[in-house]
Amino acid sequence: MGQFIKAAACAGLMVVAPPVLAQDVRITTFKQSSTFSLNGESYTVFRNPDVNAVITGDFARTSRPCPTDCIQPMVAATGVATLGELEVLAFLETTVTDGRGLLVDARAPEDYATGAIPGSVNIPTLTLSETNRFRKDILRALGASDRSDGSLDFSNAMDLAFYSGGTWSADAPDAITQLIEAGYPASKLFYYRGGMQAWLSVGLSILLSPNG
Amino acid sequence: MIRIVVALTAFAVVLCALIVFRPFAGDTADVADRLGTPVEAATTPVAEDVTRAATPDITSIVDNALAATTPLTIEPETGLIDAPRRIDVPRPNTDDTRLSDMTNNVLAELGFAGVEPVTTNSQVLRQSTSEILAGIEAATGQRSVLQERDTLEAIVIAALRSGTSDEDIDAMVNDAAAAGTVAVPEILVTSDGRVDTHVLLNNIVVQAQIAAGGSAPAIPDVSPDEVDGMEVRIVQQATEAVQARFYTVQRGDSLGAISIKFFGSIEHYEAIFEANRGLLSSPDRIRVGQRLVIPQIDSV
Repeated sequence: MGQFIKAAACAGLMVVAPPVLAQDVRITTFKQSSTFSLNGESYTVFRNPDVNAVITGDFARTSRPCPTDCIQPMVAATGVATLGELEVLAFLETTVTDGRGLLVDARAPEDYATGAIPGSVNIPTLTLSETNRFRKDILRALGASDRSDGSLDFSNAMDLAFYSGGTWSADAPDAITQLIEAGYPASKLFYYRGGMQAWLSVGLSILLSPNG
Repeated sequence: MIRIVVALTAFAVVLCALIVFRPFAGDTADVADRLGTPVEAATTPVAEDVTRAATPDITSIVDNALAATTPLTIEPETGLIDAPRRIDVPRPNTDDTRLSDMTNNVLAELGFAGVEPVTTNSQVLRQSTSEILAGIEAATGQRSVLQERDTLEAIVIAALRSGTSDEDIDAMVNDAAAAGTVAVPEILVTSDGRVDTHVLLNNIVVQAQIAAGGSAPAIPDVSPDEVDGMEVRIVQQATEAVQARFYTVQRGDSLGAISIKFFGSIEHYEAIFEANRGLLSSPDRIRVGQRLVIPQIDSV
C-alpha cells in the first residue's frame, strides 16, 4: 500500500507540479455532500469516491444519431436560466426543499425508471404537448389555477428545473417551449442542459429506481 | 541539444505558415456549410430551382383545387352567393383513437358476445397522464388527480341503452363536441366542423353484424350518376388507360362518410387519406370543395 502511494505520488509529481495526495472527491472544496428533501423524504447526494471510476452503460455513448438527438443550444428559451450541477444542487436544497419548486426529468417513463437524479419528478415531454387533452390537469398539479374565463393563472405555479438525457437531448428544451406556449412564465423555468450524462460524468449520485 | 530545438522550432514555423497561407490549396476547394455537409463553392441556379419545386406550398395547391372545382352557387331563399371561403370552420377536438376501437368498446360495454374491450389511444394517454400526476402528487404532497370528463364512448353507450333517437344522439354529441368536453375520432369530423354521428352509428351496426358472424359490407358499385360530386376520368398511363375516380367534398361530408360511400365501410379511410396527403394534413381537415382522389381497392 505504502509503495503504491509512493508510486502514485511519483507519477503525480511527474505529470502535474503540485502532488495531490488526498483522495477526497468533494463536490466543492467546502462541500462534501448535498442534502435536501422532497415532500418530507430526505436525499443526500455526494460524488463517487473512486478516482478511477468511469461512466459505463448507455451514458458512455457519445454519438447518438441526429436527428433526433441533436446538440442543444445553451439557452432553451428567452428568460429561462440555464443551470450547472451546483445550481441544480442549490435549487434542490432551497426551492425544492421549501416546496416551491420541482426538478423535472423530461425523459420517457421507461428511461426515467432506469435511474434519475435524486429528488426529481418524471414529467415526459410528450405529456406536456398540446395534443395531450389532459395537459391542463398536469398544469393544475404544478400549481396553476383556473381563471373564470377558462384560462390558467400561473402566478402561484411552481419553479421547475428541467433536465433530460444530456446536451444531445431535446426533451427538456421541448418541454420548456411547450410550457411557455401554454402560458407558463419563463422566469419560473430553468434548464439543466448537461442532464443525466453530465451529472454522471462528475460522479454525482443517482437514484437507481426512482419510482420507489 | 540546441540544434534539435532550433530545428523543431523551424519546422513548427514552417508548418504554421503552411496552415495559415495554404499555398497548395486550389481555388476549387469545397466549403462546408454549418451543418457539416460539404457544398459546392459555386451553386448552380438549377439545383436551387429543384429544391424549391420539391417543397410545394400546400396552401396554394388547396387554393388552386378550390378555384378550379367550385362553381359559385346562389342560395334560392336568400339570394346570397355561396362562395367558397378560406376561413376555416371551428372543428371539434379530436384524438387519435380509432373509430373501430371505440365502436368495439361500445359493443363490449353493451354486452355483445365475443367482443373484448381493447385499449384505445385515448385511454393510453389518460393512463400515462394519471401516472405522471401520481408522481407529482408524491413530490408535492398536493392532491392531483385527473378531472373526470365525458367521453364520446360513454355518451353513446348511455344513449343506446336508453333508446335515444338518432337525431337526439346527433344533438347530444355535437353539443358536447362544440363545448369542447369530448374528443372525437378524426374521421368523424365533417367539412362543416360537425361530428358525423351517422357514420358513428352506422359503424356500430356494421361492427355488431360482423361480431354476430355476418360478413363485412361489400364494396359498392358507385357511378357518377348516383353520387353528387363524383367524376370518372380515363387517365393515360405509360402502357394502359386507367380509370381514375375523383370526389369533390360536399357540405357535411366526413372522411368516414366518403369511405362508406365508396368502399361500404370506414375500414378503407386510410387508403383515401394516404392518396390525398397533399390536400389533407390530417383526416379531420376536410373542406368543402376539395377534390379527392378515390383509390381503387381490390375487394377481398
